[in-house]
Amino acid sequence: MPAIDKIDARTGIDLRVAAGCQTRHEAVDVEGNYVIAVEEGARYEAFFLMRGQKAQIRVDLLGKNASCDLKVVYLSGSGADNILLTDIRHVHPETFSDQTVKGVLAGTGQARFDGVIRIPFDSQKCEGNQNHRAVLLSKDAFVTCTPELEIYADDVKCAHGSAIGALNEEQLFYLKTRGIPQAEAQKMLIQGFLSEIMPADKIKLIENWMDAHE
Amino acid sequence: MALLEIKNLCARVGEKQILKDFSLCIEEGTVHAIMGPNGSGKSTLSNVIAGNPAYEITAGTVLFKGKDLLKMTPDERANEGVFLAFQYPVEIPGVSYATFLKQALASKMKYLGEKPLDAMHFIKRLKVRAQALGVTDEMLKRPVNVGFSGGEKKRLETLQMGFLEPDFCILDEMDSGLDIDALKIVSDGVNIMREARRSFLLITHYQRLLELIEPDVIHIMVDGHIVETGDKTLALRLEEKGYAGYR
Repeated sequence: MPAIDKIDARTGIDLRVAAGCQTRHEAVDVEGNYVIAVEEGARYEAFFLMRGQKAQIRVDLLGKNASCDLKVVYLSGSGADNILLTDIRHVHPETFSDQTVKGVLAGTGQARFDGVIRIPFDSQKCEGNQNHRAVLLSKDAFVTCTPELEIYADDVKCAHGSAIGALNEEQLFYLKTRGIPQAEAQKMLIQGFLSEIMPADKIKLIENWMDAHE
Repeated sequence: MALLEIKNLCARVGEKQILKDFSLCIEEGTVHAIMGPNGSGKSTLSNVIAGNPAYEITAGTVLFKGKDLLKMTPDERANEGVFLAFQYPVEIPGVSYATFLKQALASKMKYLGEKPLDAMHFIKRLKVRAQALGVTDEMLKRPVNVGFSGGEKKRLETLQMGFLEPDFCILDEMDSGLDIDALKIVSDGVNIMREARRSFLLITHYQRLLELIEPDVIHIMVDGHIVETGDKTLALRLEEKGYAGYR
């Protein structure tokens, strides 16, 4: 496999990952329409950080062993409404997709995540996974999530899950009993929550956002 | 001088009254033990002292170094010198032990108006204590309490205690789930911290822990308050006769 190409595009693009190639895409404050075509044996990996934008991401998996791994973190504070729409199309048999979306909402922040996985009749032996988790730091924050699986093939593996809740009180209490004040404790727990999918060099952006939304 | 003074404390969870007119005075430099049957309110007591918001105080006072402890947030209590070693340490995925300890120490320094330790001194302070408790560098890189055995978790609680140097340590069933070797390591970690200005409150079901960490005073707690106070012979008597006589 050729060396990984790294791209950094913030506003909508059309991208084709040629057969056997592998691409890593990282961007902050993404918005607009993204259409990504992944050819046979190619892989598309992305990490997006959103802070109140609207983005629509479509990935077409066009050839055998084409795969994508989409990781998105969205932050939505007072006055913001973050909208993320994903549409993963398993056009060819034996294609694979993973999506992990994690959100943090503060103040009166709003967010919406609609994610579709489509597997047509002929696309046997595909695998599609979608996982969404959101943490609400305030009672006035609001998030809606609509996972959608459109599966017509009968020999596929698909999973989706969504969990939305407040920070864990026991964890907060434990950190506080070690002298860590509420705001710092929240920040640590949020970083812990996001660290699974956040590249280490972007953690600072989370800290800054938390400071601005205390 | 009294380090901790609890007077007529009543506390509940939901509608259930758990602490009933509980009073206890702990002098500086002393080790107290509270023994009692299941459900007598021992863990509630430790949670109430640490400031767990799940418990509601309905009456009574708690003074720590003469200050009103009940008016303080849990982090203020910790930074004033209260430390609770948890019976069940809480898992915090995604946050490494080293980061956690660094943040805890930095918070304390800030509260006390002192300059934070630089990285070199932090590591030095941590390493010395970690080695004594058999805590490896690899363990400190792992997320807080995630995937550790029961014994490792208790060793790490003891490490935090030694590292943060509190004036008052509550050990909530430190001995539960520990094998004899781990119990010895943890007890040594506690004993090494005993000094004139530091006090301990051991909460336990068993005499075994009290052989390793010898208390100055033993209290028997039943139904939300202390029913008898004595020296270490009290634990031996209890070992023979059980709690039947107190119910």
